[in-house]
Amino acid sequence: MKTKGAVKRFLGKLSSRLTQRQNDVRDDETGQHWIHIDAPMDLSYENPVATLKAGDLFGEMTCMSLYPRSATVRAESDCTVLELLRNVLDIMQRNKNFRAQLDRSYRQRALDSHLRAVPIFAGLTDEFIEGLREKVELLRFSPGQVICRQGDHADSFYLVRIGFVKVSQTHLGGDMVLAYLSRGDYFGETGLLKGDVRTATCSALDHVEVVRISAPDFAEMNQQFPEVRHQLELVERERTQMNRERLTALSSTPLDSFLKQGLMEAQSLLLLDLDSCTRCDACVRACADAHDGVTRLVREGLRFDHYLVATSCRQCLDPLCMVGCPVGSIRRRNSLEVIIEDWCIGCGLCADNCPYGNINMHPFDVFADVPGSPGKKKAMVKQKATSCDLCSEFAEPSCVYACPHDAAHRVNPRQFFAGLLQQSADKSPKD
Amino acid sequence: MRIDATHRKWLIASLIILGVSTFVYIAYAASSPAGPSGGSATGLTFGIVGFAFMIFAGLLAGRKKVAIWRLGRAQAWLRGHLWLGLLSLPMIFFHAGFQFGGVLTRVLMILLITVVASGLFGAALQHFMPRVMTSEVPMETIFEQIDHVRDQLVAEADALVDGVCGATQTEQVALSGGGAVALATPAPAAVLPLRDFYTRQLRPFLLHDHRRHQTLAARADSARLFEGLRTVLPSDAHDATRKLEEICEEERQLRRQVRMHHWLHGWLLLHVPLSLALLLLGCVHAIMALRY
Repeated sequence: MKTKGAVKRFLGKLSSRLTQRQNDVRDDETGQHWIHIDAPMDLSYENPVATLKAGDLFGEMTCMSLYPRSATVRAESDCTVLELLRNVLDIMQRNKNFRAQLDRSYRQRALDSHLRAVPIFAGLTDEFIEGLREKVELLRFSPGQVICRQGDHADSFYLVRIGFVKVSQTHLGGDMVLAYLSRGDYFGETGLLKGDVRTATCSALDHVEVVRISAPDFAEMNQQFPEVRHQLELVERERTQMNRERLTALSSTPLDSFLKQGLMEAQSLLLLDLDSCTRCDACVRACADAHDGVTRLVREGLRFDHYLVATSCRQCLDPLCMVGCPVGSIRRRNSLEVIIEDWCIGCGLCADNCPYGNINMHPFDVFADVPGSPGKKKAMVKQKATSCDLCSEFAEPSCVYACPHDAAHRVNPRQFFAGLLQQSADKSPKD
Repeated sequence: MRIDATHRKWLIASLIILGVSTFVYIAYAASSPAGPSGGSATGLTFGIVGFAFMIFAGLLAGRKKVAIWRLGRAQAWLRGHLWLGLLSLPMIFFHAGFQFGGVLTRVLMILLITVVASGLFGAALQHFMPRVMTSEVPMETIFEQIDHVRDQLVAEADALVDGVCGATQTEQVALSGGGAVALATPAPAAVLPLRDFYTRQLRPFLLHDHRRHQTLAARADSARLFEGLRTVLPSDAHDATRKLEEICEEERQLRRQVRMHHWLHGWLLLHVPLSLALLLLGCVHAIMALRY
């Protein structure tokens, strides 16, 4: 078997010259045409936190978690890099050693970047964070899995790194959802500070990663850094007060429904204000006009408050649709919109995976090569997945622009409904 | 479109235009010995402005045809349509000096008043109805899909009743003198009232058969009927009965949605053709007036 040629061809497919990808040049890439592999690179996350050298891997965190990119990578000098689409990385992970190495590097970087990025740790010294990094654990939870249970002994403090965590309390009348937490938030401090049991159950709403700090390390941190302890106590008091108010008002229903509909996952949600919408379907027609006659939104879905959550891509933070695409054609662009590239083979996996039914398969007329007759093309019908692309070529999605009644809105639901849910509007969590 | 605080700028601008125009008209009417006339410079100006407002209002239909062209947001066009269209009425009154004139101008005036009145009626409907629809039709679906949903409801109800009473199968029985006759398999006696109620009342109601008396169209009567039915049915048929009641409620909501949808959009059947006629006759009037 000729493996040498095959390896070369395989590597040849991996290498990418950025100048050739003219129809998808990301904003960050426009100034740089070549990245050589033999030069160090600076990984910046507001402030530079890492320098990469020849042979280093980067970008694997977003491929593994599917969350938007957490950092901007800039070439400090001429560099050449090998670009692997996510599906290729998935194939390579079938190799045990590679997977173990990737997992190790992922854990190390995830812990490092997260501990430095959490605002309450701003007062900690670098030495302490270095020490802490060696002691903490990075834990992963599947949707629905309980992270800690009400009434259990409080033995750890948790920082949410990825995903959403539901905080609920069990009462005689049933479960009461108190809050949901996202990236940058933390929980478990109440039981630890009071030296008591857990006061609430925390469970994963989607794929969650948390950094676990054990009770002795938490105690040591509070002892060494009184300002951190003071801040944690303040937050604990605020939360206790808010929970008390919520219990008195019995107002967990909207929050419960918000979480059940998975709205916290959305980065950009198409909402139709049903009190203004005259059901004229101008939004649907505009969407079809903007996408070769095939609409990517259906004016039907669940209601939340007086809004209809239209069937249109939500640009999820944890997009299940991207899992397993065999050709890597469904991916993120500019960290927000999930797009389906032209090379989609129409397998329908993404449509099956989308829990909200927001991806549809449509037949398109295409001219394809005739097998065995080079240069010859014939008309044929090809299935392709379609989903809302936020009309990224325009400043505003066409559905919103074309709504004459000011009823269609593309919003970040965590900010838009913050008042209704009595939650603080978070700052669009990113990995 | 909801007429709310976001219309304040349009309201203020419209009031200013109306105020200035009224002042000019009063001054002009007072200074004209023969009274105001559409042919005078001031009268002509009012006519041109009024007609320009009408044309702008009419352009909304064209704007909707090219929804994705970046010509300004559709809601800004609709606001302009509402307020400038409304302003065109006093402008034309000032132009005509509150006279209806000859046949053509009389027809134009009647058309304009009807168009503005139908527009105001439509604006009021579109302000109030969406909220009513949202609260009264929680099971709302896409209007064009209603027939399809109805078919599904009937199929679901058929399956439920067959599940309790047994499918209405026919069996061929041979006759002694040759030939055969089809006999229906009888349902268990205890659930016969359900089959009877379904065949006589619920199914025709779901099939939208207007020839039959439709007691189920009223929620209270329907609740009473279902309650009565439950008292004569065995308890294992209650779950199916509850589901049938839900299907019945969904059908009632669909009917309500159809009615409201017709209210929401029906007025356009008057407003749009009359607006078109108004613009065409307005052009004829302008050409005739300028030429003769």
